[in-house]
Amino acid sequence: MIDYSKRFFSASGLVGCLLLAFVVITLSSCGRQNSGNGKAVTAMDSTLVIAMLGDADYLNPVLGSSVTSSNIIGLIYPSLLQSEFDTDTGLLNYIALEKKLRQPTSREAKKTPKGAVAKSWTMSADHKTLTYILRNDVFWNDGKPVVSGDFKFTYTLYGNPVIASARQQYLAELAGADKGRVDFDKAIETPNDTTLVFRFYKPVPEHLALFHTSLTPLPAHRWKNVKPAEFRNSPLNIQPLGAGPYQLKGWKQQQELVLGSSPKSNLPKPGNIPLITFRVVPDYTVRLTQLQTGAVDVVENIKPEDFTALVKANRQLEIKTVGLRVYDYVGWSNIDQGEYHKSGKVIPHPLFGSSRVRLALTHAIDREAIIDGYLKQYGVVCNTDVSPSLKWAYNDRIAPHAFDPAKATAMLKAEGWLPGADGILQKQGKRFSFVLYTNSGNARRNYASVVIQQNLRSIGIDCKLDVQESNVFFENLHQRKLDAWLAGWAIGLEIDPLDVWGSDLNKSRFNFTGYQNPRVDQLCDLAKQKMYPLGAKPYWLEYQDILHRDQPVTFLYWMQETQGFSKRIEGEELNIAGSFYNIDDWRLRPSANIAQ
Amino acid sequence: MLRYILKRLLIAIPLIFGVLTLTFFIIRLAPGDPAAFFIQPGISPNVAEQIRAQYGLNDPLPVQYVKWLASVLQGDFGRSFSRAQQPVVEVIASALPITMTIALLTLVANFTFGILIGIISAVRQNTFLDRFLTVTALFFYSMPEFWFALMMIILFALKLPLFPASGLNEIGAEGFGPVGFVVDRLWHLVLPVTVLSINGAAGIARYVRGSMLEVIRQDYIRTARAKGLPEKLVIFRHALRNALLPVITIMGSSLPFIFSGALFIEVIFAFPGMGRVTVEAIFSRDYPLIIANTFISGSLIVLGNLFADVLYAVADPRIKL
Repeated sequence: MIDYSKRFFSASGLVGCLLLAFVVITLSSCGRQNSGNGKAVTAMDSTLVIAMLGDADYLNPVLGSSVTSSNIIGLIYPSLLQSEFDTDTGLLNYIALEKKLRQPTSREAKKTPKGAVAKSWTMSADHKTLTYILRNDVFWNDGKPVVSGDFKFTYTLYGNPVIASARQQYLAELAGADKGRVDFDKAIETPNDTTLVFRFYKPVPEHLALFHTSLTPLPAHRWKNVKPAEFRNSPLNIQPLGAGPYQLKGWKQQQELVLGSSPKSNLPKPGNIPLITFRVVPDYTVRLTQLQTGAVDVVENIKPEDFTALVKANRQLEIKTVGLRVYDYVGWSNIDQGEYHKSGKVIPHPLFGSSRVRLALTHAIDREAIIDGYLKQYGVVCNTDVSPSLKWAYNDRIAPHAFDPAKATAMLKAEGWLPGADGILQKQGKRFSFVLYTNSGNARRNYASVVIQQNLRSIGIDCKLDVQESNVFFENLHQRKLDAWLAGWAIGLEIDPLDVWGSDLNKSRFNFTGYQNPRVDQLCDLAKQKMYPLGAKPYWLEYQDILHRDQPVTFLYWMQETQGFSKRIEGEELNIAGSFYNIDDWRLRPSANIAQ
Repeated sequence: MLRYILKRLLIAIPLIFGVLTLTFFIIRLAPGDPAAFFIQPGISPNVAEQIRAQYGLNDPLPVQYVKWLASVLQGDFGRSFSRAQQPVVEVIASALPITMTIALLTLVANFTFGILIGIISAVRQNTFLDRFLTVTALFFYSMPEFWFALMMIILFALKLPLFPASGLNEIGAEGFGPVGFVVDRLWHLVLPVTVLSINGAAGIARYVRGSMLEVIRQDYIRTARAKGLPEKLVIFRHALRNALLPVITIMGSSLPFIFSGALFIEVIFAFPGMGRVTVEAIFSRDYPLIIANTFISGSLIVLGNLFADVLYAVADPRIKL
């Protein structure tokens, strides 16, 4: 029997193996042929491929809220002004065709004014009326001119509660907004096709007025018959009509979105690269692999631990960084949240209520060790939530609180926290023990929380770690249910911290710690009243001194966002304002010229 | 048999409906908010409330349930929260064919390789080949699929760049012509289908081996050999047909498992199939999409089981339905 079966299986096994090998070789060689010559190479030479974590949601500026959507919308639609981040001062500049808010000081300033629909603007002396003069040579892709009416029409959409645009906050200073509803007839006037007038109910600083009135427009002639209730479901959302350097070529949802250079665009010109493909690759390891094999050209947010291997494996790759916009912190509940929920009374938290205790905790945490171990040269110690990149407002006289466990122990002792029988600090019978929560799926925060746990244990504090699913974690945070947590913020380029530190806990929705300091409220108000940002500088310096002293949270580190780029891309300028800041100016080197 | 199938299908209706109702309440009771994305600095606090009103989430739970019931009974599963208000049916219609392709290819590969390895192991019981195959099968069977997928990518897309790491087609695949396009698609499917089927095939091989060993020792097999029948005929016509009976049961029930395996595989290989739709729907608390996905997978389980029972009757004349 064995003889038969041996013969049978050896024969069928051999055939099977040969068949399998044939299939594998045929398929893989087909694939290599495809990517090794002819059409595929031509396609790659004229196509820039960007890997993204998730797909765009809406290609409609009123609705689009994901980062991917914003990047794509910026390439398709016209914009009233060009904005530019000046790395020398940290101030945002606004540019029209014939006017700039201020002369750029930075050598890196390269945004061309030709990208703006506005020719110039004038701000009234009382800072309550802003008048734009528009160009008359800008056209939507269907040939109709871009007119002031398009902007007014789109602003009524931004402000419509049925549409629920995430950008309705931008309309908060327009006439009528103080009475609960923007009066669009009064707030936005269009005396003719090239004049656009915005009226505010209060004096608004010029830079803020420019920021809030330069939201992206939709073509009114195309959208005017769409009812607000059907706005989100309209098929026009997936057929965007723009006027920018690129237009939509194809969109296979959840797979890839292809933009083609728009040949007639004069905002500022048709994009250099013929095709830009945004590919959805949800898994981080796969995004890295694709960057390494050259299947994609740009991958955002590469973890520092992967840099060396990546650049070593493929010399045609480089890591680029943008400014400091993102920081992590350990939040300590300043007030007893349980009591606040129950009776609305604000009493100090039994563990973290005293600023001396919070300061001791900051001294106990080795922030440098976290940076050295994980972020390396891409992280810096964070003192407050004003980024070092915002140079005009940054307080460089503040010295970081040093890692000093002995000092921390002494400070805690002075506050009455003494070691108990089990080695854990105690005060009036209460042990210094708590749970530090963080969200799942963030390797950096996991790393930091373990270091923090060890640091605190060494001075007699029992810190347990708990990782929660992101949705659950953020809901608990918003409902102020957590005593201690590790989270982060990405800051805006305009300083506006009242939402996070304001004393009115009902109004300041993101003041998760319950921190209250009337002087901070006052400083924020004073700064807002200044019509020119530099006038607010003294207030922001004092603000940082206060946060540094009070330690409402332990600020951990600022991190540079790090992006992986193929060297075949030329002319890219990365900026704190975004990685795809001047993507219409990028060029691709033909593959024949790339050194192997 | 037709009556039996109809009866089973009729019983399935309240069952699936019960599952959907349970899902409806469980996801709404779970923490997390579909409008959570709009709660962030710089966005007016009204936006989250307006979004919830649009989604109908401000109504009391029983009212939401009645409204949902009314529309589901009319075949309307609503619009997705997280995918730009696309009708849920459309989302599924574009994702299902991709997952079905992977599932069917996997199913075929699973059973072909599983049965083949199982037979070899049984026929060559206790030889080196059998032990080698058994250990290898157990090794793959106990390996987590997501890890195995990543290892395959590192090995066959990075170290030996034979296959692509993700996506359904190359950039510019439309220009390859119809044959080139299909070959390119198949080339992209090799790694994911291998990952999904190796794990499954290993399991099936264990079943087939056990079942074959039992059958091979039966008297009628000895009789067949004594008659002088060729070994091929003995193994395939007499032994295998009987040994496959328990395996058929697995075939029906393995479809939902392949679907759940596809969950991770699709995320890793960036396929826009049902698995990824489900994972993303859960993370973004996209209630209508979660319920519609539950409907699809619930129906698949019921149909898979029914299919197994019917197949059982077809394969074994002793069983009458």
